[in-house]
Amino acid sequence: MGLVTWARTRSPWLIHFNAGACNACDIEVVAVLTPRYDVERFGALLRGSPRHADVMVTTGSVTRQVKDRLKRVYDQMPEPKFVVAVGSCAISGGTFQQCYNVMEGTDKVIPVSAYIPGCPPKPEAILDGVVKLLKSAGY
Amino acid sequence: MSEREFVIPIGPQHPALKEPANFMFKVEGEYVVDVVPRVGYNHRGIEKAMESRTYIQNLYLIERICGICSNAHQTCYTLNVEEVLGMEIPERAKYIRVFMAELERIHSHLLWLGVAAHEIGFDTLFFYIWRDREVVMDLLEMVSGNRVNYAMPTIGGVRRDIPADKIPEYHKMLDILAERTKYYKGVAASEKTIMNRAAGVGVLKKADAIRLSATGPNLRSCGVPNDRRRDTPYLVYDEIPFNVISYDGGDQLAQVLTRVDEVFESVKICKYCLDHLPDGPIREKFSPLGKVPEGEAVNIVEAQRGELIHYIQSRGADKPYRYKIRAPTLANIPSLVERLKGGYIADIPIVLAGIDPCFSCTDRMTMVDEGKGKQWDVTGEQLRRYGIEWYKQ
Amino acid sequence: MSLMEEHKRFLERFVTFLGEGNVIESKIPRERRVFVLIKVDKLRDAVTYLRDNEGFMHISTITGLDRGEDIELIYHLTKKDLSLNLKVRVPYDKPVVPSITDILNGAVLYEREIHDLVGVVPEGHPNLKPLVLPEHWPEDVHPLLKKWDLDSIRKKIDEVGARKE
Repeated sequence: MGLVTWARTRSPWLIHFNAGACNACDIEVVAVLTPRYDVERFGALLRGSPRHADVMVTTGSVTRQVKDRLKRVYDQMPEPKFVVAVGSCAISGGTFQQCYNVMEGTDKVIPVSAYIPGCPPKPEAILDGVVKLLKSAGY
Repeated sequence: MSEREFVIPIGPQHPALKEPANFMFKVEGEYVVDVVPRVGYNHRGIEKAMESRTYIQNLYLIERICGICSNAHQTCYTLNVEEVLGMEIPERAKYIRVFMAELERIHSHLLWLGVAAHEIGFDTLFFYIWRDREVVMDLLEMVSGNRVNYAMPTIGGVRRDIPADKIPEYHKMLDILAERTKYYKGVAASEKTIMNRAAGVGVLKKADAIRLSATGPNLRSCGVPNDRRRDTPYLVYDEIPFNVISYDGGDQLAQVLTRVDEVFESVKICKYCLDHLPDGPIREKFSPLGKVPEGEAVNIVEAQRGELIHYIQSRGADKPYRYKIRAPTLANIPSLVERLKGGYIADIPIVLAGIDPCFSCTDRMTMVDEGKGKQWDVTGEQLRRYGIEWYKQ
Repeated sequence: MSLMEEHKRFLERFVTFLGEGNVIESKIPRERRVFVLIKVDKLRDAVTYLRDNEGFMHISTITGLDRGEDIELIYHLTKKDLSLNLKVRVPYDKPVVPSITDILNGAVLYEREIHDLVGVVPEGHPNLKPLVLPEHWPEDVHPLLKKWDLDSIRKKIDEVGARKE
């Protein structure tokens, strides 16, 4: 394993993107940052810019208005990049299936590497999902 | 007006995201001259979807309009449906609903306080507050089974009861919350960092707040003590003693103080509910495929961010004919625009956060210098840091 | 005076001002709720009167709904102790109402919203851009009209999308 790869898995930088979510998943993602769950002890940091991020954590059922921006942010991330879809809405549209302005799932717009179900998933589940993703990324 | 006018479409992507939105700022030097908000990124088509779901199915949809106000939406919805049904729910259920509503208010205001601290760069405070917020999250989980989206109100009452043996523990947790919030109030009222960034910033005059139909703490921080729990009481708010909090400043400091004091009031109301919980059933029967007679109703609830209004029209089917929802943030946007005008660019993050918006912004900002024909990109995180640095000078 | 009495007196004053022929229906289903249906051409007069003489400074929202025979708009005006729901109706072939944004500034966004969702045009609105619908949304699709259901909306969006390519 090269030095760069080692550094990348030991310290994944996350970017959080809300693709038309109700905020429940978002506040649980932010709770993952806070002292009780503390994702930082795994080296993961929440960044503001996609150009610094390894992992995009996305929530929400992807409305038509947001889908181009989602794609654009995804494109701005440098390789290798991973996408984690948090919450039922990001996986399949959740309760918002059959709504006229909803794309029903993140993988309709960008490739997704990991799915974390729940409405919203507990912060422990989100942490678990992110850690599993990194392990499975083969490093 | 000078010739140097910049247009900044803003959408900072901060960690505590809410819904996406986009703002176009016209600036002159360091001042914001005009703001054009573009919302609708979170428009999912819920009102239309409600017309094809039964009343019980709609409970789940309504809850997820907003994860932070989910209980408020459900409260309003159940009030509407029960009014058209002509159903009177048990007293115990009303008290439990008020208890949940106030718990949600505590959770939301503490969340907001942490976010506001983050916006001005006071991350230590953000972490402290969110750590203490876990107390109310635990309480919510103990009562309802979930940290977010508690699904307590249902048509006819509430889903879960509050067992008597748990009540002393709930009291203890509420006391802890009150004590920690007292500490934060002390910080808010005296910390130089906060005073610098919040006092006199993003001011809204009382007359403008009324003229622009502002609601909630946004309105009450301008010296207008309007609170739907007092003005158009619902459930048992007319039986519970509480104060309507309002501060005169009209600035961001007033927003902070209003919300902090509301946490104390909510703790008081919660404790009152626990002490005065009447005996009896918690739920009237309503069949999952039940039809609702023809009729219409309007209900107004004081949600965390302000006035929440729902309108229902039923034509006798098992699905609503029309359901209209207006969440409080939409009502607060015109007054938000007014607050931003004439302020510094460095103040944009805190003023945006100040109305406790239920939208987050996309990470895309473009600076356009019309005079020079230039255009360049700035991220929201950079704007937040710009504000922090600017105030350090 | 009880609240219900107050509401009745208020309604009497309102009808006197507007003219009996202009108030089509009214009801007071319970305390703190009044519903009134008026003629659409009297909307501005009514709102001005309510603001200046009855203290209705706050507009909560505007609901647009498709009644099946025409389109109804409900202006939810609120003040302490009373939620007044002012209704007007417009025909499908002429869905136009006068804008009230200059009278009640808070209506500025709600009028854009009803234009998006039921296609009613608030004449005189200072900035009638789409509020909630996304860019590239087909212009004549107003989702909350009953003639549009999920499948027909999706079909129309695909059609418009295909034409663009």
